[in-house]
This record gives sequence, C-alpha cells and structure tokens, in this order.
Amino acid sequence: MAAVARTLNAVALLAICVVLLVVFYWQLARGELPCPLCLLQRAALIGAGLGLMLNVRFGASESHYGIAILSALAGAAFAARQILLHIVPGTGGYGAVLYGYHFYTWALVIFFLIALFAGAMLFIEAQFMEGVRDWRPTAAAQILGWLFVALALANAVSTLLLCGFGPCPENPTGYELLQR
Amino acid sequence: MQTLPMALPFVVLVVATLVAMLGFRWTAIWVSLVAAVVMVAVFVTHLTTPLQIAL
Repeated sequence: MAAVARTLNAVALLAICVVLLVVFYWQLARGELPCPLCLLQRAALIGAGLGLMLNVRFGASESHYGIAILSALAGAAFAARQILLHIVPGTGGYGAVLYGYHFYTWALVIFFLIALFAGAMLFIEAQFMEGVRDWRPTAAAQILGWLFVALALANAVSTLLLCGFGPCPENPTGYELLQR
Repeated sequence: MQTLPMALPFVVLVVATLVAMLGFRWTAIWVSLVAAVVMVAVFVTHLTTPLQIAL
C-alpha cells in the first residue's frame, strides 16, 4: 500500500506541474496576463504541490498532507472570491475560457480535488509505517521534484517581472519591470 | 493598509521547494507554513472595496 501511496502522490504532483505549465502556456503564448487573484491561486497551487513534493521526496507524513490541505483551502478561498466578483449577471468574467469555464472556476475545482485527495490519502495508514528517515527517493522522484522547483522559480520570476516589487495592477497590460 | 508585494509568497515558496529538494525537511515544512501565512496576508492587503464593504 505504501508503494501505491507514493505513486499516487507522484501522479498528483505531476498533474499540478501540468496545470502550472498550461497556465504558463496561456500567459506566454496567448498573452493572457494573470490578475492578482490569479497569481495568488498559482501560489496556493505551488503550496499544495509542495506538500505532495515532500511526500515524494521524503516519504509520506501527515504534516506533508497538512500543508497540501491548508494550501488547497487558501487557494479555494482565493478562487471563490474571484468567482463571487463575477457572479452577478452582466459583470463579465476575467480572462479566457477553457472548456466552458474560466480559469478561476477550474482552480476552485482543482483545489477541492487536492483537498479531497489529501484527505482520502490520510486513510492509507500503511504509508506512514516506513517513516520519513528511511526513505530514499528514486531518480524519477528527484527529477519530478526538480521540475516542480523550476516551475515555482519560473512563477516567482514571472510575478516579479509582471508586478515589480509592489502590488499588482487589477488588469495588468504588460510586464511592470520590463516597461521601466 | 500597506499592500504587500505580490512576488513575496512566490519567493518564500521557492525557498521552501529548494530546501526540500536539498534535504532539509523540517525547514521546508516551516517555510511552507510561513508561505501560507504570507499568501493570506497578501490576499487581505489586496482586498478591493466591494468585499471590504460587504465584510
């Protein structure tokens, strides 16, 4: 069961990496610049991914799942806030639509799924028997971990370029640091 | 209220992911908790008027 849990964590982390890559594609290739709430949802997604990455890197622990759940709850709050901003008919939405829903609606669904996943995984008690000290990550786990670090770093650089060292504009039209 | 830089939570998260990959588990856990607090703080300082009125 512990091996199944490790694999499931790696798959979930890979899925989060794919989501981060998709939003990056939309930002860089389609010019869809993220709003402040969109950026906060990305940060929360990285936070949730960090919890799963700790499971992949060190072995499963309840505290790792706790990080994923707390970050998912924060991200869900950010996404719900953005949905509520546009819930009144006629107020429109922000950004592009993917398969009929805005990105922030998808974000709420994803955060709900992450919290559900982490909560359900806590029931697999066999994964906690190994202990985090004995765990040696595989080469694939290391590669996945470093891919996640690279995506987190890319998001940090992108946000710095977009917003500079201050708050972000509500509707960004360009990269703040590049326009100086 | 002073608005916090949007890049701040990302910087803290990058530090957390890096120390995790370098093998410092508990440091990564604590830094990730700091990142969560920073995220919420940035959210609160970015709240726009409609929600502040509603609250």
